[in-house]
Amino acid sequence: MSRLADKIQDVFNEPGCATNQVKSEKQRKKGCSKPLQPGGAAGGCAFDGAKIALQPIVDVAHLVHGPIACEGSSWDNRGVKSSGSKLYRTGFTTDMSENDVVFGGEKRLFRSIREIIAKYDPPAVFVYQTCVPAMMGDDIVAVCKVAAEKFGKPCIPIIAPGFVGPKNLGNKLAGEAMLDYVIGTQEPEVTTPYDINIIGEYNVAGELWQVKPPLDELGIRILSCLSGDARYHEVAQSHRARAAMMVCSTAMINVARKMEERYGIPYFEGSFYGISDTSESLRQIARLLIARGADPELMDRVEALIAREEAKAWAAIKAYTPRLEGKKVLLITGGVKSWSVVLALQEAGLTIVGTSVKKSTKEDKERLKEMSPDVHLIDDLRPREMYKMLKEAQADIMLSGGRSQFVALKARMPWMDINQERSYAYCGYVGIVEMVRQIDKALSNPIWDQVRSAPPWEEVTWEARADAANAADAAQSAAAAMPAARVA
Amino acid sequence: MSPNFLGKNITMTETAEKIRDHFDLFHQPEYADMMDNKRKQFENSVGEAEVARVSDWTKTKEYQEKNFAREALVINPAKACQPLGAVFAAVGFEKTLPFVHGSQGCVAYYRSHFSRHFKEPTSCVSSSMTEDAAVFGGLNNMIDGLANSYALYKPKMIAVSTTCMAEVIGDDLNAFIKNAKEKGSVPQDFDVTYAHTPAFVGSHITGYDNVMKGVVEHFWDGKSGTVEKLERKPNESVNFLGGFDGNTVGNIREVKRIFELMGVDYTIFGDNSDVWDTPADGEFRMYDGGTTLEQAANAIHAKATISMQEFCTEKTLATIAAHGQEVVAFNSPIGITGTDRFLQAISRITGKAIPEALTKERGRLVDAIGDSSAHIHGKKFAIFGDPDLCYGLAEFILELGGEPTHILATNGNKTWEAKVQALLDSSPFGVNCKVYAGKDLWHLRSLLFTEPVDFMIGNTYGKYLERDTGTPLIRMGFPVFDRHHHHRSPIWGYQGTMNVLVKILDKIFDEMDKATNIAGKTDLSFDIIR
Repeated sequence: MSRLADKIQDVFNEPGCATNQVKSEKQRKKGCSKPLQPGGAAGGCAFDGAKIALQPIVDVAHLVHGPIACEGSSWDNRGVKSSGSKLYRTGFTTDMSENDVVFGGEKRLFRSIREIIAKYDPPAVFVYQTCVPAMMGDDIVAVCKVAAEKFGKPCIPIIAPGFVGPKNLGNKLAGEAMLDYVIGTQEPEVTTPYDINIIGEYNVAGELWQVKPPLDELGIRILSCLSGDARYHEVAQSHRARAAMMVCSTAMINVARKMEERYGIPYFEGSFYGISDTSESLRQIARLLIARGADPELMDRVEALIAREEAKAWAAIKAYTPRLEGKKVLLITGGVKSWSVVLALQEAGLTIVGTSVKKSTKEDKERLKEMSPDVHLIDDLRPREMYKMLKEAQADIMLSGGRSQFVALKARMPWMDINQERSYAYCGYVGIVEMVRQIDKALSNPIWDQVRSAPPWEEVTWEARADAANAADAAQSAAAAMPAARVA
Repeated sequence: MSPNFLGKNITMTETAEKIRDHFDLFHQPEYADMMDNKRKQFENSVGEAEVARVSDWTKTKEYQEKNFAREALVINPAKACQPLGAVFAAVGFEKTLPFVHGSQGCVAYYRSHFSRHFKEPTSCVSSSMTEDAAVFGGLNNMIDGLANSYALYKPKMIAVSTTCMAEVIGDDLNAFIKNAKEKGSVPQDFDVTYAHTPAFVGSHITGYDNVMKGVVEHFWDGKSGTVEKLERKPNESVNFLGGFDGNTVGNIREVKRIFELMGVDYTIFGDNSDVWDTPADGEFRMYDGGTTLEQAANAIHAKATISMQEFCTEKTLATIAAHGQEVVAFNSPIGITGTDRFLQAISRITGKAIPEALTKERGRLVDAIGDSSAHIHGKKFAIFGDPDLCYGLAEFILELGGEPTHILATNGNKTWEAKVQALLDSSPFGVNCKVYAGKDLWHLRSLLFTEPVDFMIGNTYGKYLERDTGTPLIRMGFPVFDRHHHHRSPIWGYQGTMNVLVKILDKIFDEMDKATNIAGKTDLSFDIIR
């Protein structure tokens, strides 16, 4: 356990992260996420974070060591796509029972690994630690070591049992496992000055594939993506890349930073959401590659491609303006939010009336204010607050992840999913056009008229009802906040 | 090994140890060879290329024009005959035996038709007219028939309808029944209703209408002059007519539940929900449930009559209206707006408020549609079936943002066509849609090739179109022979609409899965979460 505790402290100290570095020593030790509040609604656990981060490595057998809960609930639950092996979609678990809890689950784990290798012969087996065996003291590192020696196959322990913390910590611990056991263990057959890594991109709904064609055209090779549509050997060879782009920064910044330290691979933080962000990311990639020896003419080609693709995308978006002009949008998103998405939405004629800023930097916020002065900046994403805000903002549509969907609908707000689990990919030059198309489609859906109108026999309007609900809410919170006054 | 008739030795793969059924047997080499030989040697078959050429030609616009220029021939009609609807209506009354005056073969059809759809026996007799009856008239058949069925099946009422045969010779049912009663076939005061239901006029929905009208006239207008006409003393109750409806079992029960939730005093006029859903408990119920004869008579006092299917009940409603009642007709309302209208009408007529329970059901339906309508929004549908069902489904599809591109009812008339057109004109999603009255499924086949749609909604016969055109079929209406128990689910009310929604979505997701389910080839998007 001490090893895990050390690991966690190591992850909590992130020199690559500005927010982290301004913290005091003591604060830093508490980790990145706010401590969980017992009794409050909570997000996923560390195991979930680790599984999500690595499951997109498609040819690996992902074996979850624990009772059915962990794999049963996480089995193939994200729409990440593979261009080849579908092994990542097969649910492997040791399905621990009472007997295993009493007598220990290591043997069962070992046999499970043996059976996977016999039946599936994957390039590697990833073994995920979960709460129960972690508490029992099953030493999965030792089991993996023995199994790897015995079967001549990499068996990688992913130590992120749920109780150690939230999902984000799990993302990072998964990254640590890659750094400790996978990255740098194989050599690529050939390398080129145009090899890059993309870190923190999961190919949800095939988004990576919207970015790949421009890179292919430029002759830039994705040596490894961590972890969208990745193969084990790609990750193992990723230390030979010349530059890296970090997409979802809070998830795997430790990987990008440590790869820079260990292998000298420079990285930048970028995004493929929105037209200008995509262009800027391409420029950054070219800049880093050229700095490390690629032919400077690469930049000319990048600029030519950007000019061409941007023109196409803007024209395609512009076509929607007559239909979307003046429509108000709320952006409640986690990762899929950047000012360049805002820019694209504005180009299409939409007005942003509110956006969540929980994961935004100060700079982002200022920029947002600059672009649309009336925008509501929303920090608090508790359902009750969200409901209130949805109502107040009087938006025509809310763009958000699956979790806010249901609140939106109860508040009778049109809604479109732009986070995980979505069915459409919104990356790169084509993705943003698709997003505008989908917004247009969602806005013209006739169900919203029904959602917004009361049953014809109801005399109270939905606005009045929502007001009443909020007033009651406010009264309740006011009362709860002043128990002393009440006693007096 | 044994020589066949050509002297060729063949090996039979069929053995006593492994019996193949028809799914596999004829794919075995000996049968495949045999059929191939037959085709080549004896059937004067044209080459595959020629078959393909003609087949492709039937998919063209040119062929469609010829197809739509058809004057006489009907190919694959989406309708059934009047007497079928007559039997449907008759079994909705308490211990009522449908008695079809005419040839017995027709009756066998109705019984098997209903049994295949409802998976229940349908009791129905015929006067079994033969050649001599055709020449001399069917009076004796009526006299003997009524006597026998009364003695054998002990009904409380007999509902007489006719087949074409009796209609062609012009048998007078009223006179025949009177005659039979005088001859003692059934007691004088025994209820025998009648309706002329020739198949060469209208369709099964006309037959339903005629029988219902016959029942109304019998009970309200003095039982063919044998008793005093009833005097209407208006009360607060409402009558409900479901119309000819493949989902009658589920629908009637749902409507009853709605009436009860609202506290409405109601009479289901023609309640088939029990007779076509009898329990397997060791007792054979030749009759079960149904509107009692007393209820049928008392229905005259109702404040209003609501018909769920206008085009099924045109004459009946006119007759009822002539007795001084308000009549309100719907077109198989499905969806939020349709159901709103239905409930508001009940509320207006009865003065009863729509209860919170139904308002909640409405909210749940709105919620469910909001959750998934993105999948239906923009999809194109072909709808075929009875006029009212087509209207109700089209309205719901428009509400979901789908486009009911082709709406076709073989038994639809000009009034229906205009009504559906008005519906299409009322929605931006109806712009590219067209309604076809009096057209058949072969017309629809052409349309599905020249203006393809994403899905088709209709009865089992649509499966041939599904095979020919690749348009996935969502089964709804009557008959549904090749899927079981659909008739148990309501399609009316908010809960019924929810069933329709789920059915449509299921098909959409099934198709999505089908398009992505070849391992290693198309399974990129073979997803757990849709």
